[in-house]
Amino acid sequence: MVVPGATRWVEPVVTNRAADREAEFARIFEEYSSPIYNYVLRMVSDPDRAADVTQDTFIKAYRKLDTLTDAGSTRSWLYRIATNTAIDDMRRRRMVSAVPDDSPVFTNRADDRPGPEAQAMASTLDERVQRALMTLRPNHRQCLLLSDLEDMSAQHIGEVMGLSYAAVRTLLCRARGEMRKALAAEGFAR
Amino acid sequence: MSMSRHDHYEELISASLSGDLSDSERQELDAHLDSCDACRATLASFADQRRIMAGLRHVAPPRDLGARVRTGIERGAHGAVPWWRRPAFAFAGLGGGLAAVAGALLAIVLLNGSPDDPQVGGGSESPVASVSFAPASSTPAPTAAATPASAEPSATPAATPTPEIAPEPDAYLAFTGPYDNLALMLRDGETGEPIGPLEATGPPIAAELSPNGQFLAYITQRGQSGMNEVWVTHVGSALADASGAARVDTPLAEWQTVRLGESMADSPFLEHLSWSSDSRLMAFTLTDTGGGGTDVWMYLPASDLPHQLTTSGNAFNGSWVPAPPSDALWVSVAGQEPTSYLLSFEGLATLPQLADPAESSVTAPLAGVFQPLLSPDGSLAIYWDGVMARAEGGAWAFLEGGAPYLAEARAIDDTFDFVNERPLFGDVTIDRDAFMDAAIVWGGDSDAYALWRPRWTGTSQSADGEHPNFDRVYFGHASDPRGLTADHAIDEADFPQGWAVVDVKVPTTRHLLITVLEPLGGDLATPLADLLLVTRNTGDVADVVENLAGADADGWFGPGAYDAAWETTAP
Repeated sequence: MVVPGATRWVEPVVTNRAADREAEFARIFEEYSSPIYNYVLRMVSDPDRAADVTQDTFIKAYRKLDTLTDAGSTRSWLYRIATNTAIDDMRRRRMVSAVPDDSPVFTNRADDRPGPEAQAMASTLDERVQRALMTLRPNHRQCLLLSDLEDMSAQHIGEVMGLSYAAVRTLLCRARGEMRKALAAEGFAR
Repeated sequence: MSMSRHDHYEELISASLSGDLSDSERQELDAHLDSCDACRATLASFADQRRIMAGLRHVAPPRDLGARVRTGIERGAHGAVPWWRRPAFAFAGLGGGLAAVAGALLAIVLLNGSPDDPQVGGGSESPVASVSFAPASSTPAPTAAATPASAEPSATPAATPTPEIAPEPDAYLAFTGPYDNLALMLRDGETGEPIGPLEATGPPIAAELSPNGQFLAYITQRGQSGMNEVWVTHVGSALADASGAARVDTPLAEWQTVRLGESMADSPFLEHLSWSSDSRLMAFTLTDTGGGGTDVWMYLPASDLPHQLTTSGNAFNGSWVPAPPSDALWVSVAGQEPTSYLLSFEGLATLPQLADPAESSVTAPLAGVFQPLLSPDGSLAIYWDGVMARAEGGAWAFLEGGAPYLAEARAIDDTFDFVNERPLFGDVTIDRDAFMDAAIVWGGDSDAYALWRPRWTGTSQSADGEHPNFDRVYFGHASDPRGLTADHAIDEADFPQGWAVVDVKVPTTRHLLITVLEPLGGDLATPLADLLLVTRNTGDVADVVENLAGADADGWFGPGAYDAAWETTAP
């Protein structure tokens, strides 16, 4: 039996699959490369390491793109890759030096920042917050960043960190408690 | 560890900031805030914190990020696949007995140690000094770098050669299945066939069979919570062996699993399970969720009760001392000067609960000894010394001068002592640079041992800039007077960059059973770990590495576990 139009349909789909994949990846990179870089930067506190981790994150994402069946999960999926890659990086760094993740200096890159005075103020505030963040345990830091920097719900954080909704709420509360102390040590009121 | 009312409201406050409250929770919180100054202050503080975080400066990523990603993609995925997982045909043509055996990838790898290396340990069966070997795929010829068989042994030979015993584990754990329905299973070590289900969940990182093969104690990771969970499963008679070891009467049904508690992850001092020789007691260490207290616990399969042995908040489980008619347990207290105590439970109707282990020690306290690990025959001990500290929210580790030592364990006039101590590492100098911790395990022959995941605080102690190396497994023999050196590390090429050693067992004087973890892949698929059986050979005979679960298997395989038979057959 001849099925009208069958040939016309099958071939274009096969031919375009690779192109679709490239286009999809390009869209993901365009949308997420900057937020992921900033998230990782706050996690590892070093611009060069953050660039390496972000690079590895997107290479892994490209290779695993076929496993992403639900486009609605892209964000959680990508942050999970970034989180795991950053943890791997921190795990490896710890073996080189026993100094925990609190020592690297958070440096600023040249970009479109405001004038020198405002810039100094901003960088000081930034550095103090970053120092406070780096005193937290890595999972507390992740959780806090995903909530307050990335504005994720407990459910999405759970998808990223592999934890239940209840576990995320508990972890996040502990992280906020620790961050409160760390910010106080940096001179923030309350 | 139940949550107080105050903790409950703090959690509601925290959840309210990200819109994670139900209507009833919102009403409950609002009512509480009306009457609680402290919680109003917490709400203000958490809200400030969220504003501060949300206001952090946005930093532009490097301009070449896209190009770097593209280059990485074009370089291809094959480089990320470890050699033992590559298709068998990749090794074709290398010659020298390459074969795929029973569905597993069997890869011949070559010794590349220095020809000048003396032999380690004793006897004609002893392996060569260097255990480093390179992957077959990158080594041109099998004779290129082999250690000459004529190298002189530098150590006193062991009294009798180790009898040939099967190096395969009695069983190993497998965590497999679809992402949303992963299941933990115990598999037969030789055939890989399922033996029975383990009700626990999570990737397993440690496992110890009771000496009679009746119970399996194991530790799993709990997501990314930073915590581990400790479990015991009654495996019944599935692994009963010919050793004739007495069974323990237990109320546990076969394949019933008990969760014993949780502990902080990533500390080798905590990831340590010890069965008494009669399988009646299992000692382990738990921490509370805040990491504030670390205490030794016991599990008694006969009554199915976990029992908190210490309440000092800084105690660690060491190892059991064979002291007939029943074993005694080394317990260590962490601190400025770590100290170990020997506890005996002989004749006690119930187990004690000790605020200070010193009060119950049956031997003089051993200052400067932390977590002594006795060899299976009880004649030798590996332990730690140095100044310990606990980071806030973290586990205990060595802050200054930390290092492992090897000594003879002696019973002298009703007391135990460790004598003729020497540093475990022969080529590192301990001063300001030192170890924080490492994982250590004895071999069944009471001579071989392995050390992995060393955290070294200083600069490299070798010319190549990577010693001691966190990524590598160090394989030594107590009879080798050189101790551990950079030459005793398994070659980095065996574990591609990013792969991490999870667990090591030393079934015989020339075998290692290594659970090695793929870098957290980041996709939503099953985490991957492989179980590798490494056979070391002498002279120009190549070492053999076998992937026990098979090259194509996807899942987390390992750790392996052995019952007491492998120890009792050793001299």
